[in-house]
Amino acid sequence: MAVATSSAKTTKRTKRLIFLGVMSIAAFLWIAPMIWMYSLSLSSNEVLKTVTTSLIPIDFTIENYFDVFQVGLTPRWFMNSVIVTLVTTVLTLILSAMAGYAFARIPFTGKNLVFAFVLAGLMVPKEAMFIPLFLMFAEVDMHNTYTALILPRAAAPLGVFIMTQFFKAIPHEIEEAAQIDGASRWTIFWRIMLPMSGPALTALAIFTFILTWNDYLWPLVSATQKEMFTITTGLASLQGNFAQATELGSLMARGVVASLPLLVLFFIFQRYLMRGISVSSGGK
Amino acid sequence: MSNQALNSTSQVAAGSQSRILGWNKTSRDTIQAYLFLVPFLIIYVVFVIYPVIQAAYMSLFKWDLLAPHLNKFIGLDNYVTMLGGSGLTWNISHLFIWRLLGLASVALVIWAATRGSMKKFSAIWLSVALVAIFGVLLGLNAQAEGGRLNDATFWTSFGNTLKFVILSTPAIVGLGLLLAILLNEASRIASFFRTLYFAPYVFSVAVVTLIWGFLLNPQRGILAAFLSIFGIEPISWLTDPQLAMPAIVLTTLWWTMGFNMVLFLAGLQDIDPTLYEAATIDGAGTWSKFRHITIPSLQRTMLLVIILQIIASFQIFGQVYIMTRGGPGGTTRVLIQYIYESGFRDFQLGYASAMSLFLFIVMFIVSFIQFKVTPQED
Repeated sequence: MAVATSSAKTTKRTKRLIFLGVMSIAAFLWIAPMIWMYSLSLSSNEVLKTVTTSLIPIDFTIENYFDVFQVGLTPRWFMNSVIVTLVTTVLTLILSAMAGYAFARIPFTGKNLVFAFVLAGLMVPKEAMFIPLFLMFAEVDMHNTYTALILPRAAAPLGVFIMTQFFKAIPHEIEEAAQIDGASRWTIFWRIMLPMSGPALTALAIFTFILTWNDYLWPLVSATQKEMFTITTGLASLQGNFAQATELGSLMARGVVASLPLLVLFFIFQRYLMRGISVSSGGK
Repeated sequence: MSNQALNSTSQVAAGSQSRILGWNKTSRDTIQAYLFLVPFLIIYVVFVIYPVIQAAYMSLFKWDLLAPHLNKFIGLDNYVTMLGGSGLTWNISHLFIWRLLGLASVALVIWAATRGSMKKFSAIWLSVALVAIFGVLLGLNAQAEGGRLNDATFWTSFGNTLKFVILSTPAIVGLGLLLAILLNEASRIASFFRTLYFAPYVFSVAVVTLIWGFLLNPQRGILAAFLSIFGIEPISWLTDPQLAMPAIVLTTLWWTMGFNMVLFLAGLQDIDPTLYEAATIDGAGTWSKFRHITIPSLQRTMLLVIILQIIASFQIFGQVYIMTRGGPGGTTRVLIQYIYESGFRDFQLGYASAMSLFLFIVMFIVSFIQFKVTPQED
């Protein structure tokens, strides 16, 4: 009897070990391309002319990273991306939170109609409507500006939806107490509701940050001057013929620089990000 | 008499006063609500809604970016150029397999309807529409002698987009589901694996193509080195017309699988754990629990993930444009790329708008089907 239980335990442990072993190999293969990019970025360009298939840097050097900030426009593109992404994210949060608050907490005429109108925006493929947007900004001669890169991305129906759902879940007592004390709607929103919506705002913020940082088509269409490229369009413009690339190390270092802010954010906020994804899917 | 009149007047006055007070409260709320909404609504209408209307308007014009003085109203000509052809014939065998798959989706709709998750009326409506598209419309072709499509590039681009959707959706959704099920436990090690699998999702398309464009390179890429361990000769993935699209799908799988995995994990967390406990007491094995609890409970999530993936896949552009520029020989040119080229290489904004609207409508239909097929909560 005792022997049987212990052998059952052993099979269970063996199964577990096999599972972990297979999973580790699979996970390693999954992130190998990423490791490879880091390895190449830390190898000298000389060595990379002959060997490019090592997951461990050969002839370790951080020369390539100095290169990123000395040669070419990468620092400028990086700053463009930082500015555009930060402003878009902040704007999206404010607009979504305000609209979400109105939908969740204020009874008003035409609410259902307006809400349906906003949700309809979820069905507009944002990648497909760049032709009219291009013309709109061309008519006012505003291409190659931050405004053109930011405004079309600041109205997010999904953000409104997430914030509405969130505000709906906050108990009414808190708001009523403040109302009795004579606080205005604006004060309630700004002083009470917003500070309470940290988790939802964080999730929405990181989600918006990733989408904006990685946006490719609209910056490609609107920012055509090299100085106004974002890091995403800029990096794409550098990718030519890999077979003949001589500055492979510094190219890969640019890739690392382009992805670093996101990886850092991801590791800090991954809990929020994953929850944000689940929430955003909840009602669609 | 006069007294009575006075009385009734004061009654009316009192009534209307309270009505005015009530109206005041509502109207104050309404004004405040719109003050909160206006900043969002302005940006939303100008940059999300108006472009759709403007695209519809522009699609009725010959609208040249470089020679705007030549713009002129041409009615539906852009659509005729896009969709039409001359000497078209209909035969049953054209795109047979694909149409068969399409008709299978009709069966799916009917099945969903009998399961009670759809109203009978919309099920009939939807089935008729799908039969019309797959049974009749797609049988049309220009293969007969003298048959010619007005714009064959549009159809290849649309076909390539569909090909990408059909190849990528099962792969990305399937692997996402598998990993979600395997890693749905509260241990630290599972959380670590989840992080690794999700990580590529945060990369931008340019970083993904930087890695994969070089990774797939037959001379210098790491995939060729890896495959040579198994004695496989280097493969020119991106320059082979047969393999270019699968290579793009593989790249996209690596990039976005994690997103679907997280959606599935959220769905799995929502399953009531007591169901599993009860099943264990009843002596159910792992497989039977999976089959009878996990799969049925995930139905809603599954549909959601599939539709989100289809919508995302329809909008594919970056990977293709950076890695192959639509090549070799147009085998990976997708619809958004063709819209981009029509607009900014050929400067035909009207025609490009017509194609944008076409894509919008196709995706709208997909969303609509989702809405109808997904079991509604409450």
